Amino acid sequence: MSVHDFWTPFALLPFLNSLFIGISLASIFFIAALGLTIIYGAMGVINMAHGEFIMLGAYTTYVLQTFFGIPFLICLPLVFIAIALIGLAIERGLIRTLYQRPLDTLLATWGLSLILIQGIRLIFGGEPKYVGVPKWLDFQIEATFIHLSGVRLFIIIFAVAIGAITWFLMYRTTLGIRVRAVMQDKEMAASFGIDANRIYSLTFAYGAGLAGMAGTLFGALKTLFPDMGSGYIVEAFLVVVVGGVGLVGSMFSSGILGELSSIFSYFTNDTFARFILFTLIVVFLRFRPQGLITEGTTRR
Amino acid sequence: MNGNLYHNRKAQWAVYITVFALLALLPTYYDNPFTLNQFARYIVFSITAVSVSLVWGYGGILSLGQGIAFGMGAYAMGATMQMQYQDPESDPIPTFMLTNELETLPLVWEPFWSTPIGLALAIGLPTFFFLVFGWMMFQARVAGVFVAIMTLAMLAAWYSVVYDMQPFTAGFNGISPPMPFEIFGTQIDPYSATSYWICLAFLTVLTLGTKLLLHTKFGLIVQAMRDDPERARFLGYNVAYYQTVLFTLSGFIAAWAGILWVMIVQFVSPTSMEIMLSISFVIWAAVGGRTSLLGAIMGAFLINLGQSYAGDAFQAYWLIIIGIVFIAIVLFLPKGLAGLFEIILGKLSGQNSKANQGA
Repeated sequence: MSVHDFWTPFALLPFLNSLFIGISLASIFFIAALGLTIIYGAMGVINMAHGEFIMLGAYTTYVLQTFFGIPFLICLPLVFIAIALIGLAIERGLIRTLYQRPLDTLLATWGLSLILIQGIRLIFGGEPKYVGVPKWLDFQIEATFIHLSGVRLFIIIFAVAIGAITWFLMYRTTLGIRVRAVMQDKEMAASFGIDANRIYSLTFAYGAGLAGMAGTLFGALKTLFPDMGSGYIVEAFLVVVVGGVGLVGSMFSSGILGELSSIFSYFTNDTFARFILFTLIVVFLRFRPQGLITEGTTRR
Repeated sequence: MNGNLYHNRKAQWAVYITVFALLALLPTYYDNPFTLNQFARYIVFSITAVSVSLVWGYGGILSLGQGIAFGMGAYAMGATMQMQYQDPESDPIPTFMLTNELETLPLVWEPFWSTPIGLALAIGLPTFFFLVFGWMMFQARVAGVFVAIMTLAMLAAWYSVVYDMQPFTAGFNGISPPMPFEIFGTQIDPYSATSYWICLAFLTVLTLGTKLLLHTKFGLIVQAMRDDPERARFLGYNVAYYQTVLFTLSGFIAAWAGILWVMIVQFVSPTSMEIMLSISFVIWAAVGGRTSLLGAIMGAFLINLGQSYAGDAFQAYWLIIIGIVFIAIVLFLPKGLAGLFEIILGKLSGQNSKANQGA
């Protein structure tokens, strides 16, 4: 058993391919983490059930496709609305009572995730389900070094689009100003006449809806399990925390983490890459706990 | 405080000693080997709950990565037990390594030929890791939620390593030492009262030792840091140092749990480092009462008993019940069932001292 069995030697074309896959990974990280960035950034709420919102989005897509025959593209906005409503209910019911207690929010949302996972398992059973890939996405790009499936390409495009839309909402609309005001200082914003609680509810619902749409996309990529969400939650949190809890930060960190993950996977394999990446992140956070890019926010 | 019995030190020690004495008498009533092994497992889980209670309930550090110490201790113990079975001349290499095309025993496995060294590594490695990791975190003043996320990420990272390094750790199949643990020339049957008492002995020593520590000045300082780290800093205490020591201690306790676990189940796999297991440790401590070591022990017992005897009817709903109970505890009873007990005792003794009202 030697070191060489772990390390793949460097070859240009496969390495370039892994860089491209890194873009795909980055887009997945970004979409998964976007909702969390907004929720944690605006409200300081650690939502451990975020992965389950993704899972709910995937299962909702499955239901819409299988029982109502709704085409894939139409599913996206429907899932957004559905999961946003669920998120709204959860915020009103549970999260609202825990605003000043971040650790308790973490634990309570973990309890919630247990309930959601088991609930879905009871309703749908534990066997894997599938979201059908639509015909117009059912292709593979095979250029010189690029091997990409249509779904992954769509995810990349979607990530850019949704990032742009969210950026527009946050920085070019009055609603965005209100959200950013609440993010910076809830009390001051409230004293300016902004209904902070309503902003919180809307933000949480938006973040949940984004997670739901992420689920739709990921469902087309992978099979559906009741606990598929837990595969995304740690990565999503790391993207958020490394990026500095801001929109631009998350873009950068998802890009960096996605590329690094792909590069490490090329040299070793997926699981060992995860170990290296997480260790690097932990070390990085020790030296720069505020993340990559910090906008002015209240100290959490 | 008025006369709330809950806070009476003598009463506390009496209760602790009574509980451990009752637990020690258990094998005289239940001598079914399967039951004994079952209860030994609960005792091991209680030890992990105590480690969480120490670092979270008393230190205010929510560590979701106790599984790292638990798993490291477990794997080291598994390696020790495996090598006890292997013979240096005729059969030096464990089967799973041969299946993974290893021709010689890897260097990292060599120390485990010797049981004392194996045990020392099983305790030393996790404790050392927690020392370094804790120092790294707390020196940078990482606190609260970030500690939780970092310990979680570290746990996930270690899970990946252990899962992946199949030639070294047998991957997801896990290591199954064919023989029970042997020490001082005797084999310890996992289904006997002996192994149960060994686990109970460790639980008693670790719990009472921790309780003694918490009654010292160290314990008071650590609780002060839990309540307000900034204030402690301004009072001149080196918060990072105390937090690191506490964190390392909790790793030490969890490592013993890992060692005992493999002794009684004769199996170790990546599940010992699963996220769900580490969070279960936290749930047990939270439900039982994280600010009380005995509460954490009771929490671990209650939930695991419930899980075992819930029966097929409840099994499907068990996770939902746990989730609801956990949310309820977090929302309404932050100090867990022990806290409920404290409130009840407070009400009972409060009624006897009307003079304290308005004080």
